[in-house]
Amino acid sequence: MEPVNLFDLAMRQSQWLAVRQTAIAGNVANVNTPGYLARDVEPFEKVLDRTGTVPGSTQPGHMGFGATEASFRTQAQEYNGAILPSKNTVVIENELMKAGEVRRAFEMNTAIVRAFHGMLLSVSKG
Amino acid sequence: MLGPVGALRLTPALASQTSTTSLSQSGTTAGASFADALAKAASGSVDKLENAEALSVEALKGNADTRQVVDAVMSAQQTLQAAVAIRDKIVSAYLEISRMSI
Amino acid sequence: MDALTASLRIAASGLGAQSERLRVVSENLANAQSTGNFPGADPYRRKTVTFVSELDRISGGSLVDVSAIDRDPSAFRLEFEPGNIAADENGYVKLPNVNVLIEMADMTEANRSYEANLQVIRQARDLISMTIDLMRTS
Repeated sequence: MEPVNLFDLAMRQSQWLAVRQTAIAGNVANVNTPGYLARDVEPFEKVLDRTGTVPGSTQPGHMGFGATEASFRTQAQEYNGAILPSKNTVVIENELMKAGEVRRAFEMNTAIVRAFHGMLLSVSKG
Repeated sequence: MLGPVGALRLTPALASQTSTTSLSQSGTTAGASFADALAKAASGSVDKLENAEALSVEALKGNADTRQVVDAVMSAQQTLQAAVAIRDKIVSAYLEISRMSI
Repeated sequence: MDALTASLRIAASGLGAQSERLRVVSENLANAQSTGNFPGADPYRRKTVTFVSELDRISGGSLVDVSAIDRDPSAFRLEFEPGNIAADENGYVKLPNVNVLIEMADMTEANRSYEANLQVIRQARDLISMTIDLMRTS
């Protein structure tokens, strides 16, 4: 397989993380909404496996964001716990844990980009 | 699964252009292809600068995706710095040649 | 609109919905003893909040909104208090169908949900900051 451009990969991951953050925001906002099922994006590995195809941005269930045309599939998560009478499947603790994961991954992403950007600049200096 | 990440491909624009320069060619053809490569590098960095500027204008108006602006600006920085370094080397090489006694 | 700004919007709608809920809870608590003012009159009737999720056309995320503020149809309590203005011919006063313990539990949950939405807003704001910081030359 071809080597991958690091900045492009980092850009793709940051878009995925941002979409995941939006899904988490939707879950937390709807924690008390009757009948609301918690949603999450597909795993990043699946997105990478799909990169050969052109992402469709107008299919239902895709969160597409304007200029980037990067759309990732979100779907209602499977829920194995006890179903509340209100049929709401959001567990706040899980959402906050996922938010923590997003944050860590995002920090790593920006740190890597910053480091390689600095390296490139220093290579062409002088 | 991903193949190995090619760190050397970080600046695809510049790297691919300078790598297509075949310095092993002799005579006037070498000069033409090198000049072509330089021209491509220069226009590549101008394109990236224009793109970064356009996105920044949109960002100032409030319309742009944050990460895209950041990426475009950093990319422009990289190509610009590389282009400037190349230009400086060319200028100093030219000056050195012009000082050579015949 | 990029995804991080969208999540700010979504979390803000969550804040709005939860604070509306808190407002209704405090109204219920404040009126837990409010009787009517003529004999046999109905007292304050407990209000309830119903949330509904809306698809945000701009961002594709799920906003939340208060769809309705309804009245709890359950029966009023009766208390024997002949001296009260609202006492009927048998001396019974109708009191609001507000259970203070339930309202307090509701308030605690609303606070928790409000805090969680605040967390989301803080994180989205921080992620945007981190992105912009990339451009900063150190």
